[in-house]
Amino acid sequence: MTARILRPAVLLVLGAIWLAPIYLLLVNASKAPAQYAADQVWRPIGDFALFDNMREAWEIGGLGEAVTSTLLYSIIGPGLAVLFGAAIGFAIVALRLKHGFFWFVLVFGGTVFPLQMILMPLFVGYVEAGIYDSRLGMIAIYTAVTVPFAALVMRNFLGGIAHQVFEAAVVDGASTWRIFWRIYLPMSTSALVAVFILQATFVWNDLLLGLALSQSNEVRPLMTAAAALQDTYGGLQLTAVLAGGLLVSLPTVVLFLSTQRIFSRGLNLGQF
Amino acid sequence: MSAPATAAPTTPPHGSAPPEPRRRRRTTYGWSARGFSVPAVLVVAVLLYLPFLWTTWISFTEYNGLGSPSWVGLDNYRAMFDDPNFATSLRNTLLWVVGSITVPVGLGLLIAVLSHGMRFGGWLRLPFLIPYAISGVAVGVVWRFVLQNGGGLSQALDALGLPGADLRWLSDAPLNTLVMIGASSWQQSGVNALLFVIGLQSIPREPIEAARLDGASGWRMFRHMHWPMLRPLTTVVVGLSLVASLKTFDIVWIMTKGGPGRNAETLAVTMYEETFVNSAYGAGSAVAVFLSVVTFLAAITYLRRQLSPERVV
Amino acid sequence: MRLRHTGVAALAASTLVLAACGGDDDDAEGASGPGLINFYTDKGAWEPQFLEVSDVSETSLGLGLEFTGYSDAEQYSAFVRQSFRTDEKPDLFTWHTGSELEDLVAEDLLAPTSDIWRTAIDNGDVPEAMQEHFTVDGETYCVPMNAAYWVMYYNKQVFDQYGIAEPTSWAELITAADTLVANGVTPFYETNILFSFVWFQTLLAGTDPELYNKLSTGEAKYTDAGVVEVMEQWRGMLEAGYFGDPGDQTAPQDQLKAGTVAMINFGTFLSGQLNSVDMVSGTDYDFFVIPNVNPDLDQTSLIFETGPMCTAKGAENETSALQYAEWWMTDEAQTAWANARGDVSFNPKALVQDRLLADLNTQSGSGDYQLLERYFEATPTPVLTAALDGFSAFVTNPGDPLPILETIEAEAAAYWAEQG
Repeated sequence: MTARILRPAVLLVLGAIWLAPIYLLLVNASKAPAQYAADQVWRPIGDFALFDNMREAWEIGGLGEAVTSTLLYSIIGPGLAVLFGAAIGFAIVALRLKHGFFWFVLVFGGTVFPLQMILMPLFVGYVEAGIYDSRLGMIAIYTAVTVPFAALVMRNFLGGIAHQVFEAAVVDGASTWRIFWRIYLPMSTSALVAVFILQATFVWNDLLLGLALSQSNEVRPLMTAAAALQDTYGGLQLTAVLAGGLLVSLPTVVLFLSTQRIFSRGLNLGQF
Repeated sequence: MSAPATAAPTTPPHGSAPPEPRRRRRTTYGWSARGFSVPAVLVVAVLLYLPFLWTTWISFTEYNGLGSPSWVGLDNYRAMFDDPNFATSLRNTLLWVVGSITVPVGLGLLIAVLSHGMRFGGWLRLPFLIPYAISGVAVGVVWRFVLQNGGGLSQALDALGLPGADLRWLSDAPLNTLVMIGASSWQQSGVNALLFVIGLQSIPREPIEAARLDGASGWRMFRHMHWPMLRPLTTVVVGLSLVASLKTFDIVWIMTKGGPGRNAETLAVTMYEETFVNSAYGAGSAVAVFLSVVTFLAAITYLRRQLSPERVV
Repeated sequence: MRLRHTGVAALAASTLVLAACGGDDDDAEGASGPGLINFYTDKGAWEPQFLEVSDVSETSLGLGLEFTGYSDAEQYSAFVRQSFRTDEKPDLFTWHTGSELEDLVAEDLLAPTSDIWRTAIDNGDVPEAMQEHFTVDGETYCVPMNAAYWVMYYNKQVFDQYGIAEPTSWAELITAADTLVANGVTPFYETNILFSFVWFQTLLAGTDPELYNKLSTGEAKYTDAGVVEVMEQWRGMLEAGYFGDPGDQTAPQDQLKAGTVAMINFGTFLSGQLNSVDMVSGTDYDFFVIPNVNPDLDQTSLIFETGPMCTAKGAENETSALQYAEWWMTDEAQTAWANARGDVSFNPKALVQDRLLADLNTQSGSGDYQLLERYFEATPTPVLTAALDGFSAFVTNPGDPLPILETIEAEAAAYWAEQG
């Protein structure tokens, strides 16, 4: 009985602490530039200027052009990665791929390299291959960097599915492709979605790869454009930078909100 | 929507399920298995391994990004180990590893377990996910508000009558590393919670019900039923935190540039400073190779233990 | 039902892939048609101003800029360096003087600009003294993109409130600082990120400009008595409470506006940042040239910085890029640039609207000032990195400067030994 009150109470208190920095973000992004003061960051003062600040960031940052391409990257890149990750997970777990651990470690090993260091060879390679500053090139690299994470999660998740499921399907005469597509993938929707939204968020927020591998407005992703709003030599007002940061984060916040249902489903374990 | 299908036919990775007959069936699916693995292996090999090969070669040369690199053998590695700052970087990186596989993993588990199966649990989890969804640019600015001297944290402590308002959060080591681990936990805990939730969802109903009928509940239920079955996802979360923490860069660079006086530097920051600030590509690459080897060994050791065939599959 | 969903998603994904592949093959080559020059800079935040000038050049020169901005100076440098290995050599790009420029020249990667400079100097578009900073082994490269002087900004209301006038000597400056401290106001801005070198630069240049120059050429040591003295003086000022909290990451313009600090020792590009927080030049803020520490010097040391705008040898549009560089030095271009940025110009004929900046623009050309290159550009990169680390630690925890200077000197000795 106490647990019934205690559990939400603990979550609410922790959640409130977690939202404090978000509160700071909102309050200060809503201040008129002239009213922002560093020693009063907690207090909402002055007029509500959030939308003015957002508009300023949007216009000066030229963010509009970047939205389409970024949307494309954050859907296709992680989308492919999830499929690739699930496929190799399926190969290892269900099809018992020979030397499965080796191949798994090889793919997961892709995450150990510091991304900053592979930017330069990638840039040179991209120019030579003729895919520098192209959407194809951006999608390829975003797929590559999100595959290891997808492979790790999917391999482990699929490992939880009993092998009898596979064997039963084989007895029914299903091909491996069909078993993967019609049985394993649907059974792991929540894991697929979780990996997808986490990685789509990562791609949406990426700065590094966009900076190194693209140049034109049609190809450059959003964050690269947004980051240019502020640097050492000035640029936008802090309030507008915050508002701009908030604005470009909205789609990912909405994504998390809209997928919550999927994670509330499944088995209700009740009280411990 | 066909809701209950999600996890119903699963059985726990080990435990009450009958032992899996381990037949040499692999030959049957050899080609098929390879076919399923090719896309993942290919993109990773071409776009991540190949470029890093170049970095590895550069680590044996002296190169400023222009002209052609000149071979210097192990000089860069020797210089790296001789550099007194290397020890500081190593120490800070270790702090990050320990901090990251305890705080955000523990908090993530707590959030997942508390919110799982509860009405509106998804909504209560949301505050922890929002930080991950916010762009790095905005997060950097906000944490500077919070952690700078006399900033939000100090103001709040002062207002609440708590001590510590005059601490210099980002200036003094190792305090600066600790508070930055806090900031990074703020961003990471929700993600970990989400992964744990997926794990909890895949736990089948039957053994839990059986245990409940036996009178198990609360902590005992968690300890003996949920926790062992959560292992695949615990492996994921810890494995990812391990790799990510060894490579810690963004937050340190944004908040402090590794300073003042390099006292918050991590290995990745050292690598970045050598390569991009000093244009000493060879020296930076040497740190990168060292870092990658350490990360790889740590990850493989951990995963090997966790994923050994006797325990999972 | 779910099965259909996955199928649809897969179909949608593959269509998108096709769309993505088909859509942009023509972009892959870079977008420089006739009349457009690919322009790269690490001053990404200045895009609107560059485009403003580009509008002017499109009408008067028939050439415009295809702008690509980086917000991260370090990655920008790596990108430009690597681009010389490829066919994507930048037509026009901003860079740094000093060792960064020498690196490029050493590999013969830049198009020379000696002729352009000769014409510009003859036209009176640029002070001749500036050329040496762009010259390596007798050949000149690049043109100045901008210029800025380092002066002392102050909050006029704060000065008026405590009856402080613009100091004309070091002693007066210190008296002003004491007055402010006595009234509980922090006199000077300080930071331990990036700009930690500023006061070292000011104190050394105002005490012994010759030593300042020698330090940047390796003829003097960081452990020399003159340098140690300057550090001790700085330490005294730090301990006297003259400086704001170096850990306060609030932007300098916000600190000056709020009165957190009364003065900021900064480049003239701060004017643009102050204007952006609604402070009015001459009403809310003003600035003065920092008086020499050593009153016996003939000329007042004035720190200037200039960033070059360069053309890669063998770039796709090399000829028109050089044409653009030539135009950039003219008073037409510089008037547009200085007013777009709200900064000074290297061209004394540029019509700067801001009265305070316009005055400085003309004064700096008179013989009263000795122009010294900013420490950031004057110091070779590895030495600079060590120095910035050292100074940031020093302003955060003031103490014995000798260990810090020894660390910097070790780096400097290694660098100059390698240069032979």
